[in-house]
Amino acid sequence: MIAYKFLNEEGVAPFTGFRWPVGDWVEADHVDPCSGGIHACRLRDLPIWMGRELWEIELDGEVVELERKLVAPRGRLLRRISEWNDELLEGFARFCAGRTREQVGFLPILSGFVGDVDRFVVQRRFPIAGFAAARAAELRDGPGAYERERLVQAAWLAERLGLGVPAA
Amino acid sequence: MRLARELTCAQIVELVTAYLEGALEPDDRERFEEHLVFCDGCDRYLEQMRLTIDVTGRLEPGELPPALEERLLEAFRGWRSG
Repeated sequence: MIAYKFLNEEGVAPFTGFRWPVGDWVEADHVDPCSGGIHACRLRDLPIWMGRELWEIELDGEVVELERKLVAPRGRLLRRISEWNDELLEGFARFCAGRTREQVGFLPILSGFVGDVDRFVVQRRFPIAGFAAARAAELRDGPGAYERERLVQAAWLAERLGLGVPAA
Repeated sequence: MRLARELTCAQIVELVTAYLEGALEPDDRERFEEHLVFCDGCDRYLEQMRLTIDVTGRLEPGELPPALEERLLEAFRGWRSG
């Protein structure tokens, strides 16, 4: 199964500090939703876990599908997705700013989000731009709107990365 | 209104030790890590905690100057009796 994985510079996993080799299979000691296993993203999870490097990863064995990630017993990095770069992320944050303006800019009680997201764009704090845009949608339309907005963001990213359409 | 799964920065600070000790439930661990993705402040705080644990974990008793050790023990004894 092909999935995606975010890593820090030089292929280091952000939460575990594990340095991923490219092309070699990595085996997990055990598979557990959070404490064990090879963790990866579907397309729809991309905006939730945004990191510095995006890699394509092949997962093998029994893959567990969780709400916001996949967990597998084995995985190997296939290639770094070079299109995941600052230019793309800045475009993503601007997209989120536009969505926020459209969705809550006319509502006095929520219009503060517009300035917040615009500021995140300028500060180049791209992941929080996505979070704030989804949060604004949620505050307008309820919890389901958060997930819908995240899916819209995932579709924007996947399209520009040439990775297809994320499944809901 | 707050997402059921969304943690605040204050909660992150409260949970950081449990996170580093691997004591969080899987759901909480995931929520914790989700927060770190977009919150630069909490991400830095976690790194500082990791660094602090790393540095203090390497301190040997012998590296403490005797005078300082005595002052610390005195303060500790005072705290215990006070």
